[in-house]
Amino acid sequence: MHQYIFLTILFPLAGFLINSLFTLTNFLGWRTKERETLVGLFSSLMIAIPFGIVVAIFLEMLSEAERPAHLVEVYQWMNTGLMNVAIAYQVDTLSVLMALIVTGVGTLIHIYSIGYMHGDDGFSRFFSYLNLFIFAMMNLILGANMVVMFLGWEGVGLCSYLLIGFWYDRKFEGTAIVSTGDAAKKAFITNRVGDFAMLGAMFLIFQTLGSLNYTDIIAKRDAFDGTTVFWITLLIFIGCTGKSAQLPLFVWLPDAMAGPTPVSALIHAATMVTSGIYITARLSPLFLMAPQTMEIIAVVGAITAIFAGTVGLVQNDIKKVLAYSTVSQLGFMFLALGVGAFQIAIFHVMTHAFFKACLFLGSGSVIHAMHEEQDIRKMGGLRKYMPSTSTTFFIASLALAGFPLTAGFFSKDAILAEAFASGHIVLYAIGTVAAFCTAFYSMRLCVLTFLGEERFNKSVAAPTTSSVAEQEPGGGHGDHGYDAHDDHGHGDAHGADGHAIHPHESPAFMTVPLWILAALSLGAGFLGLPAVVTEHSWIHGWLESSVMQAEAAHHLSHETEWILLGIGSLVAVLGLGFGYFVYAMRIEIAASAKRSLAFLYTTLLDKYYIDELYELLFVRPVQWLSDKVLFRFDTSVVDGTVNGIGDIFMSLGNGLRKWQSGVAQNYAVAITFGLILVIAFIAFR
Amino acid sequence: MLNDLLLTLPITIATVWVLVLILCEAFVHNANLTRWLTAIGFAGIIASIFLIPSPEGYAYGTMLRTGTFTNFSNFIFAVSGLLVVSISDKYLEEEEINFGEYYIILFISTIGMMLMGSAANLSVIFIGLETMSVALYTLAGMLRKDVRSNEAAMKYFLLGSFATGFFLYGIALIYGATGELALPRIAASLQTNGVSTLFWIGLSLLMIGFLFKVSAVPFHQWTPDVYEGSPTTAAAFMSTGSKAAAFSSLIIVLSNISIALPNNAVLQTAFAYIAVATMAVGNITALTQDNLKRMLAYSSIAHAGYMLVGIAAGSNEGYSGVLYYALIYTLMNVGAFGVIAVLERHRTLTNASDYAGLFKQHPLLAGLMAVFMFSLAGLPPFGGFVGKYKVFAAAVEADLTWLAIVGVLASVVSVYYYLRVVIFMFMRDPEPAPQANANATGSFALVAIAVIVFLMGIFPTEVLKLADNAMKVALK
Amino acid sequence: MNSLAYQIIFYLFAAIIVGSAALVVISKNIIHSAFGLLFTFFGVAAIYVYLNADFIAVTQIVVYVGGILVLLLFGVMLTNKITQADLKTETLNPVPGLLITLSVLAMLLYTFYFRAKWVTVPVDQQLRGTVVEPIGIATMTTYVLPFEIVSIVLMVALLGAAYIARADRKVQTKEGK
Repeated sequence: MHQYIFLTILFPLAGFLINSLFTLTNFLGWRTKERETLVGLFSSLMIAIPFGIVVAIFLEMLSEAERPAHLVEVYQWMNTGLMNVAIAYQVDTLSVLMALIVTGVGTLIHIYSIGYMHGDDGFSRFFSYLNLFIFAMMNLILGANMVVMFLGWEGVGLCSYLLIGFWYDRKFEGTAIVSTGDAAKKAFITNRVGDFAMLGAMFLIFQTLGSLNYTDIIAKRDAFDGTTVFWITLLIFIGCTGKSAQLPLFVWLPDAMAGPTPVSALIHAATMVTSGIYITARLSPLFLMAPQTMEIIAVVGAITAIFAGTVGLVQNDIKKVLAYSTVSQLGFMFLALGVGAFQIAIFHVMTHAFFKACLFLGSGSVIHAMHEEQDIRKMGGLRKYMPSTSTTFFIASLALAGFPLTAGFFSKDAILAEAFASGHIVLYAIGTVAAFCTAFYSMRLCVLTFLGEERFNKSVAAPTTSSVAEQEPGGGHGDHGYDAHDDHGHGDAHGADGHAIHPHESPAFMTVPLWILAALSLGAGFLGLPAVVTEHSWIHGWLESSVMQAEAAHHLSHETEWILLGIGSLVAVLGLGFGYFVYAMRIEIAASAKRSLAFLYTTLLDKYYIDELYELLFVRPVQWLSDKVLFRFDTSVVDGTVNGIGDIFMSLGNGLRKWQSGVAQNYAVAITFGLILVIAFIAFR
Repeated sequence: MLNDLLLTLPITIATVWVLVLILCEAFVHNANLTRWLTAIGFAGIIASIFLIPSPEGYAYGTMLRTGTFTNFSNFIFAVSGLLVVSISDKYLEEEEINFGEYYIILFISTIGMMLMGSAANLSVIFIGLETMSVALYTLAGMLRKDVRSNEAAMKYFLLGSFATGFFLYGIALIYGATGELALPRIAASLQTNGVSTLFWIGLSLLMIGFLFKVSAVPFHQWTPDVYEGSPTTAAAFMSTGSKAAAFSSLIIVLSNISIALPNNAVLQTAFAYIAVATMAVGNITALTQDNLKRMLAYSSIAHAGYMLVGIAAGSNEGYSGVLYYALIYTLMNVGAFGVIAVLERHRTLTNASDYAGLFKQHPLLAGLMAVFMFSLAGLPPFGGFVGKYKVFAAAVEADLTWLAIVGVLASVVSVYYYLRVVIFMFMRDPEPAPQANANATGSFALVAIAVIVFLMGIFPTEVLKLADNAMKVALK
Repeated sequence: MNSLAYQIIFYLFAAIIVGSAALVVISKNIIHSAFGLLFTFFGVAAIYVYLNADFIAVTQIVVYVGGILVLLLFGVMLTNKITQADLKTETLNPVPGLLITLSVLAMLLYTFYFRAKWVTVPVDQQLRGTVVEPIGIATMTTYVLPFEIVSIVLMVALLGAAYIARADRKVQTKEGK
């Protein structure tokens, strides 16, 4: 079955091409809204068929005792003697698991988007981008060498850019950002920094091995010396910090929420942002050779987890909260990678894909119902209008918070346990605090959105109930207006004098995927039960053949593990409870806390001023340089030279033109002179 | 004899098919029928190339070669013919010359090219050259009532005959110096008897015949006048098929003889200088052309220069690069001329300024033209880039790095005039623009060409392998 | 016959060729030029006979004198009659023309005398008697392919000539006649 893996890449590509044709016809002015559903279902089918194929491969592999990696070569792409690159795909347990997630979640989100994007002018454009994204993502995770992987890596970056800026003319506010187009550019440029490091790592590998195939890299990894392997792994990790939104390159992800919500769910939560974890797990033997890098990864992961977790506590935009939560969860995954628990990291990738996709889609459903309103201070009480959305949202929030026996509980606690077991007590503590924050903001989000009184038809300015609907704390924060009076170009949809909002449940296209994802968020955790329950959980057994795990030197005793599980459950329950207590019962606590800790609050609200810092350190100097120095150099020196050369050639051309007299006899004379020259040169040399 | 006919099946098929075409046109008088039959003939040639195995060797004594090289070059000619036929019909109707003779003469010209591409004997090369040329002279004059077309035919005929005279004289001198006409035996005779000055002069004259056909400087001046005056579709055919034929013949002669030449460097240097002159004059003069047909004529001179770089390299890599280049050049240039033919009206509307704002009116046509222009300019990821890369790389390998650098600089200059067209199409305001005159087959052909040009830029490996193979097997 | 007689006859014909060729170039009357050409062709044919190349000599007379020259004269006379004008030619660009001619001549002579390695055929293999038979056999055996292809060249020339010269026709469109 595995030889058909190329179909899983071809179908999305075909979908992209055909949808592009539809887009082209739109472009030519033949708009028909009627065929929307057709386009949407067709695109979903182009992902669903690969999903079926991947499931078949998965089932086949499941029945095998040995699960060796299969290499499927499709085409010998470059063959230059020194460098041979094939378009080849590696089918092993890791890539199949990732492919299952990508195509499975991808199919659900495609179906969801049929409902979400209904009536949009760029309907077929949207679906062609989505298909292109799946095509690139499949290349990334299935590629058997780093070149194909990098092709996918750049491809998903491109799709991310296209989809963030999908509504390129809408307003979107952030630090030094005024439109969604700017947000898209920010994402692309930040990613380029990481991509550059990734390329550097590829060069280093190629220099030593002369090959970029994963099998070669892993088989011949002893050829690297310690320094080289440190630099390779560090550069790969820097590449991952770009794509997977870790410190210091995470800044693009919150602004990436400018894209349509299904995009946030698919690209910026479930799949693309986890590609950094995938590539690290794929090259796990290499990383195990570089303990310093591992240490760096663990520390960066933990810091990112707590950093983004605290920022998430105070955000007021429903998608921003989820975005920071994603960054924080990615931090957890990197923490797992850093302590050598590669399989656990992949496990968390899987569970996170389910519950975070569910959360994003749920938030999309809310935004849809609220006519593009995203501020949770203007929501509340939605539960009775949107039963399906609110129930699934609650389930997924519990999973995110790590409520006992949900999917997130098992994967997150496994990570913390591994951190503890490997002796990183400090990191364990940081992780636990971050987990508490996670539980707290999950509950805050749920309560403010779905419970309590309805605030959406009231003016923001009216100080009716609570701190959450409070106005901005004084001046000086005009630049994070995103949190406050954002309107996304839909300013007519709400406000004191605006039309009343009548929330309603979303269509079945949107709710069915929500229910499926919610069910997975509940159940998927049982694939990776902790060691106290079962000595060898399913996920370990499955990934055994493809992902190397650190030496199981740090085995915990059963008692310790029970204690850790207990702490984990307690933290989750406490966080959730505290959140419920504050926001559902004693809202004034939040208000007073905000007043007394004003400095901390604004720091968090402004995301520790990281964006401002980058603006000051990098953006301004570069702008100054290009504006004041390079521009002048360009106009005077470069343009002058170029134009001068151009003028010379043009006058030469005018001169040569005169040679062309149009008289045949003259041409004959020229031929004869040429003849004499040639004979004189060749025969009488 | 029967065996010989089978060994050279593409030529046999073509020759028999000519009779069918002539009889059909004589009795039925239906140009459209003749057009379809011609297209079928070309398709039959292509099919026979792919379906019938052709072992390496000779046919008709040592008159013709058989094998991969022949197959590759015959394929180029047949593709060129097929594409030109498929873009022709609307244009011919528009210019009121939709007669069956056009297609028949085009087909006969292809026979001449195939003879040139499979010759192993100087007499066959000469006959092939004449068959091709006489047919092309007529094609140039197809527009009987147009003065410029008459002028083009006359100029082409006079200067072509002039060059043919040199060519024939060269053959005579080579025969005098070696006593042979068959290329392998000429090489053998040179190896036993040594190379005399008489032979060098003969070879130079022979080369001049070829250089005239590929329009290398200073034998190039007929090119712009003829292309501008000829029917646009005929110009497409002249600039691609006949050039490919002259180059494949040139490769045959050089690759056979060069093993016997003691001082190859002189020939190499001569070709290098001619290549430099050709690239420089072609590209620089093209800068100042407003008429797109003239611009493409100078561009075809420049492209002959790039291909001469591969010839100057003198290695199998260089020759196979030229073969690949000839194929991709055939595709993209027929495409470019095809777009011009679609928009041309009674010999007008061929200036770059007529294309202002084309994108607004005919986005597809403008897009296709842009693809062809980019590819002609040699920008990746289009096929033209790979072709240039191949010949320049061969030059570097043959220690002619300076030549490759000149080639790259020349390509840089060329970007100006190709992109100028694109800028007119996409960035200028539309004037009351011409109505497109495309029909289904023509549009389909153009789109197919664009797709293939694109694919040959991204996935060149298979075709490159074929070209390499053609050279490896052909020359032991 | 002795070699002196050979020499005398050869130089006689050579003088006729050069003299009549000069007349072709110098004469302003195009009819005179044409007749000058007649003598040149005959002289060349005689030289061919001298070289034992009887077939080429006959071909020379048939093709050039019988075909081309007659065509030329007909063309001149017919156009002369139509336009009622004396056809005269001017000598154009004498200096570059002379320069090119002389340099080509010098090159050829130099090569023939000093650099050429002519293939010399031993005396016993030299052709005696008529060469028409071996040429005919070679044409129908070794060179049968080029010989047959020549028919295609002639056919396309005929086709082209007929196309250019024939009367106007109605153009066919897609729908038929």
